[in-house]
Parts: sequence; C-alpha cells; structure tokens
Amino acid sequence: MRLKRKLVPWIYSLPAMVLIGAIIVFPILYTGFISVTNMNLFHWSNYRIIGLENYERALLKVDSGFLKAIGTTIMWTILNMILQIAIAYFIALGLNVKGLRLSRLYKTLLMFPWAMPAYVSILLWRVGIYNTEFGLLNKILTTLGIHKVNYLSENVPAFISCMVLNLWMALPFMIMMIDGALQSVDRSYYESAKLDGAGFLAQNIYITIPALKPILAPAVIMTTFTTFKQFDIVYLLTMQKGSLTGSTLQTIITYAQQNAFVSNNYGLSSAVSIVIFVFIIVFSLFTNRGIKEEV
Amino acid sequence: MKKRVKQSISLLLCVLLVLGALTGCGSKDTKDTSKETKETTKEEAKESSTPKEPVSIKVWHDGNEAIMKTIETRVNDTLKDENITVTFEKKAGITDQMKLYGNDEANGPDMYMAAHDSLGTFAEMGILAPITDIIDTSVMADQLPMTVDAGKYKDTQYMLPIYFETLLFMYNKDLWQGEVPTTTDALYDYMVANTNADAGTYAVVNQHSTAYNVAPVINGFGGYIIDKDAKPGLNEQATKDAITYNQKFAKLEADGDYNTVTTLFNEGKAAAIIGGPWLIDGINKAGIKLGVKSLSSFTLPNGNALAPYSGVQGVGVMKYAAASKKDAIAKVLTVLAGPEVGIDLAKTANCAPANQKSYDDTTVAANEMIVAIKDTASTALPMPNIPQMSVMWGPTESLLAAVNKSGEDVNKAADKYQKEALKAISDMQ
Repeated sequence: MRLKRKLVPWIYSLPAMVLIGAIIVFPILYTGFISVTNMNLFHWSNYRIIGLENYERALLKVDSGFLKAIGTTIMWTILNMILQIAIAYFIALGLNVKGLRLSRLYKTLLMFPWAMPAYVSILLWRVGIYNTEFGLLNKILTTLGIHKVNYLSENVPAFISCMVLNLWMALPFMIMMIDGALQSVDRSYYESAKLDGAGFLAQNIYITIPALKPILAPAVIMTTFTTFKQFDIVYLLTMQKGSLTGSTLQTIITYAQQNAFVSNNYGLSSAVSIVIFVFIIVFSLFTNRGIKEEV
Repeated sequence: MKKRVKQSISLLLCVLLVLGALTGCGSKDTKDTSKETKETTKEEAKESSTPKEPVSIKVWHDGNEAIMKTIETRVNDTLKDENITVTFEKKAGITDQMKLYGNDEANGPDMYMAAHDSLGTFAEMGILAPITDIIDTSVMADQLPMTVDAGKYKDTQYMLPIYFETLLFMYNKDLWQGEVPTTTDALYDYMVANTNADAGTYAVVNQHSTAYNVAPVINGFGGYIIDKDAKPGLNEQATKDAITYNQKFAKLEADGDYNTVTTLFNEGKAAAIIGGPWLIDGINKAGIKLGVKSLSSFTLPNGNALAPYSGVQGVGVMKYAAASKKDAIAKVLTVLAGPEVGIDLAKTANCAPANQKSYDDTTVAANEMIVAIKDTASTALPMPNIPQMSVMWGPTESLLAAVNKSGEDVNKAADKYQKEALKAISDMQ
C-alpha cells in the first residue's frame, strides 16, 4: 500500500516527464554530445569525439567583441526594463482612472502590437517607420525641409531605434499585467490614504507599488529574460542577410549566431550554445535570488 | 468506484497525450520504400517490353513556382510513356533542408534544383552523386561552357545546368534621357546630373552594399571576394580600389536595400536599376517600358568591362536516389538538358537557357533581356561554389555597409572584415 502511494504520483507525472524529457532535456543532452565531436561540413557523417577542443575554441571567442556584446546586452536589458515598467505603469494607471470612457477599447487597441507576429511588426517598422525613402520619420523630416536620416546605419541611433520598437512590442504585456494587478488592490486603502491627506505620489509609493510588487515579480523576470536573449529585433532590423544597415550593434545572441552558427561547424556551435546556456542559468540564479530577497 | 473511473480516464488521457505528442517523431519505413523502389528498378530492367512500373521523382527547389511548373510540365509530358512522374516541391531555405534530409531517403528529395553556389557545401557533405555516374557527358555537349563549369566541384560534375541569371542594367525608357552610356564614368556623370535624393528621385538605384551587386566592379577591377583556394581577398588593393570606386555611386543610389530600390524603380522614382530577370514580374505589373543593357557593355576606368557574377540554376542528384532510381533519373536529366526546357523557360519566364541550341528559337533570339544575359556570359564569372563562400557573404556585406552606409575608412574596414572572414573560414573546420 505504501509502495503504491509512493508510485502513484510518479505514474501521474510520467507522461509530463516523458514530454519534458523529449522536448527539453534530450535536445540539451544531444547538443552536449555534439559539442564534444568534430561534426562539421567536412565531417558530416563520419564525425568523432574530440573531447573539449570545441569548448577551448568557444571560450577563445570570449574576446573583445564578445565582451562588447555582453555590455550592449546588459545595457539593452536594463534600459528596456526600466522604460517598460515605468511606461506600462503610468499607462495602466491612466487606464484605471475612475470614469474613463471607452477604457476597454483602449485596452484592446493597446494589445494590438503584442498580438501581431514579431516578424511582421519588425519588417513593418523597418520599412514603414525607419526606411530612408518611405519611412514615416523621414517623410516628416523632408516635409519640414530637413535632410533624410538613416536611423539604422550607426550604432547609437540603431540601438535607440531597436529599443523603441522593442518597447512598442513588449509594452502591451506589461500593461496587461500591471492593469490586472491594479484591479486586485483594495480601493479602501486609497480612501483611507486620502483621508490621511496622501497625494498621488504618496498613494503610489506607499500603496500601489508595494501592492503590485509580488504580483509583478514573475512578469518582470519573464520579460527580463526575453529582453536579455533578444535576437529578432536587432537581427531583422539591422543585420538581415542582404540588407545590412551598417550598424555593428551586437547582443550576445546575435554575436554567437554570427560567430558560430553560420560556419556549419555543429560541434563548435553546440559548444558555444552550451557556454551561453550555462551563462544564462547563472544569470537566472542571481536574478531569482535578487527578486526573492526583494519580495 | 467513481474514483477508479476518474483514475482510469486520467491515465488514458495521459497515455493519449504522450502518444499524440510523439506521433510526429515516427518515420516512414525507409527499408520497405527503398526495397520497393529497388524491386521496381529491377523489374523495369528485366521487363522492358511489358508496361513499365510508375516511378515518381521528387525535386526540391527554392525558386519561382511558375518556373518550376514549366519545367515539371515539359518533363512529365516527355516522359509520359515511360511512366515517370516528376514533382517539384518548394522548400524555403533549401540549404538547411538539404542538411537535414540529404541523407534521408524516406523524407528527402531524389533531386534538388538551386543556384550552383551551394554545390560545394552539398558535395563536401557527401550527399550528392556525380551527374556523370548517371548520364554520359555528351548529354551536356550543348550547354554553355560557363554553366557546365559552374556545376563542377573539385573537377567532378555534380550539377546539370538548366538556366542562368546575372545582373543587368535595366532602365525605364520613358525616364532615361538620351543613350545609355558605355563607360561607368559617363554613367556616374549622368547620375550626378539626374539625382535629387531629397526629392526622392534617382537616376540609377542599386543594392550597393550587397556583395552580389558590387561583384561586377570588384571583378572588373581585378579584385576578388574569395579565390578558388578559399583565400578571402577583401583587403587586396584591387578589391579596396573597387569598393572606393563603388562608394561614390552608392551615395547616389538611395539606401541600397532590395525592397527600397525595387519600389523606387517600379514607382518611376528611379530611371534605372541594376537587377535581374527576377524583377520582371513587378516591372511588368508597374507598366514600365523596359530597356535592358548588358553590364559587360560598360567599361571601367581601367578599360575592363564590368564582370558580374552569374548564378547558374541546375539540378543535382542525391546519392541514394542515384542508386535506387538511376534509369529514371537518367531519363529526367536527358530531358532537362535538352533545348526544349530552355525554350519553354525563356518564353514563360525570361530565363536564359543553359543549352545553346535553345537560342536558335526565333522567340528566344528576339528576347532583349535573354540576349543581354547571354551577352553578359562572356564576362560573367560563375559565383564561387566552394563551401567557404557561404561564410563570405557576411563579412563582405559588412565591409560594404561599413564603407557605404557608416562612412568608415575603406582600408581599416577591409582589414577588419578580412580578419573576420579568415576567422569564419577557420571556424568551419
């Protein structure tokens, strides 16, 4: 009977464990295996185990370019997260103002960028907003008699352009989370605070923000990771094959892609992937610990 | 009782979930399929007098569907009595698909059709059979030598050329004033006089930071992107001179992005574009009165003609298919090598046939664009088909974008991206 009681949870979890094993664990283990082989274009089917040679080469890729990419990625993550949370917070507050008409319509419209496939959004912005000939920004400039600007040809303007697009795409999720969290704050706190003479700022600092923190923590962690490993915006906006814009902006994922994944050297690419995987795991451990302490 | 039913249902659902999720992991019975095919081939050989067993041949491609339909129709009509059916299947990112399925007889193709520049990659992977193991070289006797050479890798013929493409000078006859110049310097003068970037009107537009589009200048200057020994030539003096020369044109050619330059030309905001036959559909839809001139008729300041790359579209045969369907594939290749396929392609899609006899057809001979492409074949160089070329596009285009779009110094940028190219090549091993 005791054995059965012990076995039952395992039996129920087995299907999920098989799925997780097949979809998540197996690819990681297989990548680990390939990383210790010399599998590449010239050894496509006759590859053999070569030990840790690929790791030595992968770590040698931690050069000045890689360090610069890490710096860019960290700055990208911090700036995006700060702006995302701040802007989303104020928009969500606005949406929750008492007596606001058509608030549901605004909320639906605000979801639009999030519902759109990322690939479509990025290409739309590239052509519709930033393009030198047909982009909205340059149309405005030429109407005002100012010379056209290539927003994506140099690193700083390209970084800002990517960030604006990322905010456009990511804000709806954050707004939705904050909006949901705001609904759960007991209105009586605000009434008491008002009676005590608390203004807008005091109400936000002492009631809203502390009340939102525990609810928002998972959303912030998730978004931090999505932002940290951002690839498609930077790649499609500035580095698409055949449409390079001239900026040399690199995040660690685009750097890894450029340096390891175009070579058809699967052994080396796998080693780089494992190094990045370990790097992200370490990063997540620190982030989780930080957030736990904060909460 | 209720609890037991619940438990049973939940277990059943779990099992179904796992089975459902893993269904896609199953593969077709390769052994049986190949066995069947082998038996079919044997029977075919034995009983040539009896009605032949049907053989189907799957060809993967990443090109234009209409072009493939034209080829498919011609081949199937010709081989109707042989009971051979060819099916073309479009696969986006064919190079990656071939890497995944090139050794997989059950799920992979029997043949593939793509540009010749990926040939070395597939040959090194060991997934292709030499064409000469299936057909005699005499079958290719009428193909243009340049196209035949493009299908060779390490002196082995892996590809049968069907048609080829190259860059052309395409102009709007209603917008271009006077004769098209014959020197690049005169062309530049025309561009200076007829471009107003702020107003969004251009004399000539080009993808000025794309390696394929700058190759005519680089090759014409005697430079190179990569040589036959896989040595990158980005910081060779001749390459740098070419890039510097191209830079002044780039300043007058808009952003250089494919969509931008194509739209500018199709909307009548650019009088000319450096492009290829792949633009023709859009140009026709825009109702542009098109004039075409071969790039080889433009002379550079050093006296050489512009020398664009040519991309040869051809078919290769998978090793396993060459073993199991040799006779049927030989018949397909023989039809593909004939002049009729080339004539059909020229008439329906403005493709320049690889077979020289196709040009004897009066309609083909009268097609201005096809004649211009054929003329360019005299100076065009086949794109390098060594595997290392696949990692050269990135550094070359980064160099061009750095110079043309970010205003970096040519010498510094060339050294930087030459190093990147060398590193990318060494990473392949």
